[in-house]
Amino acid sequence: MKNLFILVLIVSLTFTFGCGGSTPPPATDKPVTVQAKPVGEAQKFSLAWSEWPGWSVFGVAHELGILDGKEGKLGTIEKKYNVDIILKEMEYDPCITVYGSGQVDAVCLTNMDTLPNCLGVKSVGILPNDTSEGGDMCIVVGIKTPADLKGKTVYGLEKSVSQYMLVRNLELNNIKESEVKWVNMDPAAAATAMQQKKPGYDAIVAWNPFCLQTLATRTDSTVLFDSSTIPGEIIDMVIVKDSSLKKKGGKEFALALLDAYYQVMDRLKDPKTEDETLKLIAEKFSNLSLEDMRKVKKGTKYIYTPEEALKFFESDKIKKTMELVVDFCVSHAVVDKKPVVKFGNEKDAGDADFRFDPTYLKEIIKTRK
Amino acid sequence: MIDKNDIVVECKNISHWFDCRDDNKKIGNLWQGNDFRKKVLYDVNIKVLRGEIVALVGPSGCGKSTLLKAILGTHPPLQGDVIINGSISYKPSRHCGIVYQTYSLFPFLTAIENVAIGPLLDKTNTVSRTFHPFKTQEMKKTFHKRAAQLLDDLGLGNALNSYPHEMSGGMRQRTAIAQALIMEPEILLLDEPFGALDETTREECQRLLLTLYMQNEKRRNEGKTPYTILIVTHELSEAILVSDRVIALSQHWNWNNNSQDCPGATVVYDSPAPVYPPDVEKEILEFTSQKNEIKKAAFDPKYCQSRDIYNKYWKLLLNS
Amino acid sequence: MIIRKPFQEKWKPILIGLISIFLMIGLYFFMSFRQHEINPKDTTIPTITQLMKGFSKITAVSHRGQTWIGQDSKATLYRLFLGIGMSVILSLLIGLSMGCFAFLEAFLLPINALLAKLPPTAMLAVFFVLTGTDTTMFIAMIVFGLTPTISQNIYLAVKQIPMETIYKSYTLGGNSFEIVYKIIFKMVLPAIIDSIRLSIGPAMVYLIAAEMVVGDVGFGYRIRIQSRLLNMSVVYTYLAFLAFFGFFMDFLLKYIKSRLCSWQRT
Repeated sequence: MKNLFILVLIVSLTFTFGCGGSTPPPATDKPVTVQAKPVGEAQKFSLAWSEWPGWSVFGVAHELGILDGKEGKLGTIEKKYNVDIILKEMEYDPCITVYGSGQVDAVCLTNMDTLPNCLGVKSVGILPNDTSEGGDMCIVVGIKTPADLKGKTVYGLEKSVSQYMLVRNLELNNIKESEVKWVNMDPAAAATAMQQKKPGYDAIVAWNPFCLQTLATRTDSTVLFDSSTIPGEIIDMVIVKDSSLKKKGGKEFALALLDAYYQVMDRLKDPKTEDETLKLIAEKFSNLSLEDMRKVKKGTKYIYTPEEALKFFESDKIKKTMELVVDFCVSHAVVDKKPVVKFGNEKDAGDADFRFDPTYLKEIIKTRK
Repeated sequence: MIDKNDIVVECKNISHWFDCRDDNKKIGNLWQGNDFRKKVLYDVNIKVLRGEIVALVGPSGCGKSTLLKAILGTHPPLQGDVIINGSISYKPSRHCGIVYQTYSLFPFLTAIENVAIGPLLDKTNTVSRTFHPFKTQEMKKTFHKRAAQLLDDLGLGNALNSYPHEMSGGMRQRTAIAQALIMEPEILLLDEPFGALDETTREECQRLLLTLYMQNEKRRNEGKTPYTILIVTHELSEAILVSDRVIALSQHWNWNNNSQDCPGATVVYDSPAPVYPPDVEKEILEFTSQKNEIKKAAFDPKYCQSRDIYNKYWKLLLNS
Repeated sequence: MIIRKPFQEKWKPILIGLISIFLMIGLYFFMSFRQHEINPKDTTIPTITQLMKGFSKITAVSHRGQTWIGQDSKATLYRLFLGIGMSVILSLLIGLSMGCFAFLEAFLLPINALLAKLPPTAMLAVFFVLTGTDTTMFIAMIVFGLTPTISQNIYLAVKQIPMETIYKSYTLGGNSFEIVYKIIFKMVLPAIIDSIRLSIGPAMVYLIAAEMVVGDVGFGYRIRIQSRLLNMSVVYTYLAFLAFFGFFMDFLLKYIKSRLCSWQRT
């Protein structure tokens, strides 16, 4: 009996202490720590990214010493803005979860995957990295025209840009979505199955590098259509938590990301350093060869300058695109509730779940001149 | 003369050795020169007659267990033959029953099932069990009846449905004896059967063996085959008490006038032992003198004489 | 604290067990509470109301008269049962023959030892070639993952049977085949059931991992898609169901063992 009492005591003590002191929230969200630190010290912010031509740029920035992705170490740009940016590389899917649970301040996502996120975490799009114009493909064997897809089974990741790209292309070709059977499969697995010539795998939708691999390995496969038919509709971008931007150093964090990104873009644009930079990106993108990377670059339309990006953010096209994407997400149960998407700075669009905010682009244009 | 049909087991010129090239240890005088063989048995000749209870004794390491395994057929001898009922035995079979010190019973069967499983395995097979389920069921009933009867005879009437782990050591060994006896084997081998039991229980089990011996007379008269038992034990008193014949193996014997160069253990003592029915007091004097005789012949390393001196069983038998 | 000293009263360990479970649940809701303090709109560590919503979502009847949980449980449990069942049958054959016959032991043991170290989850592409991407693949994956382990357990259990028992069976007139299935099988049955119990976890891991990659119904599929959409209320409800299924199967096997192996010393 005595033992039991001791045990209950220990248990209850652990519980009390557990309630009182343990499981600290992410340090970045704790205003106390911010105040406790000396004014001069660099604030910590984190960015989760996965391998993708537009996002591997951050990996390159780390290699070049512009951004030091390690905690407590500062690259040149980090010093300039006095922020400590922590780069966290992971798979695409975990990026979504990590951002959604508040573990990171910023994340690299497509415009579509941003929508379910912003319902839980009020988010701001600050930097469009690239748009897919051919990077997402529908690869087929023995199918000549989109009309031939009727009655066939198409494999790809459900509720993702792959499905969006397919549905939009079917629309463009006046084919009803119900006429094509869509079966969920991981894009890497679908590509593998097609490369192995598994019967029934006549059509898959995937993104690079899986598409390039499949086209190279299976010589009889062709691209039926790709995302170049819907230019600018699949946007790969960096989104930041609204709350993080409002924190001390939040604005500097956003500017540092933009500055670093455009510095690498400058090198990519310059014919002298183009190949070298492309090689560095390829190293961070499935270790592709330079040749393959050139092909990938064709399908991925980089937005090289902040001026271009600003124009893109303020165009009517992007507004229409977002309407389409939101509609798709609602009709395909990607989101339960229609998210409010707006364009403009905090004053104009601060009440939206997600806003494309050109403030930081404008700022960086000024400083770059 | 002895009827040939009365010989149940014959060990004919059995020699056995172990390959011990990997064994660095030199074991006594059994490990000789550059020879890699650890000699165990040398030219062992034993004939067991039907209805005898033979005790096999000898100093530890003399090869009692090796001989038992050879007779059982699990480890046939490297030289010589074991002949059971006229045919050479080279694998364990239903002709030889065995009771080990432990592990004799199947833990997943009750006492009665443990006893009945023998006939079931023996008299039916997979095909007959599958295609004649009713017949099998009926046979099973008969076997269970016989098993219950046998267990009752051995004083286990109230433990029929106990699992081995629920029984005492003595009960387990008695069940194991029943399990072997129901098969009516040509010979029942007991390998140190009561070694792990406490003294009272051991005496009880020894009395059981004597009862079986007493039943042999009756069985003969009824035309049934009498029980033949070979018991391996390290206890001389037990050996003399329960058997009507004691055989001792020993490596201490004079071979070729050279006591150092021993080729393995052999039979150095073979003599009748008085039978004491369960309720008769044993004669201490006679008992101790035989015990001393065996000790001298088999257990004393200094006593190293020809193996024939105490091999008097057949002489006595033929003279009588 | 004396080592292995049991409680005098039966209710004590039960009470302590319940406390530990409540502690775990309490810790979860505490974390959820903290997370919602930081972000009231958080969906990653759902509160109880969010979980309830998730539950009603997965039990909502669609226009085809089906619920998510119904469809997915049916698919996943079918694959799981079939996979575990076939692994057990195969393991029995392999384990018993390895344990009993020297030739098969020499032939199968090295392959078995090698395969036991390969994680099937890392070999999806091989399974595509071998089995395609249908139900066969899920079952093959479970079978591939479990069979080496279970058969090795059976093999070891067979090896532990004393030789005396086997010799004894021969003296009772049994032939080798009879001895294998009437004696040896019965003696290793508890070890087999224990091995199956321990395999439920890995089987689920293999199956869920495969379903996450391939297929459009099943627990793995739903969990992957819904976690991409940050619908953790659905994901956690599914996890609760998974835990329940696992617990139930474990309980069932324990019960079967207590019925079939009542001869075992407790």
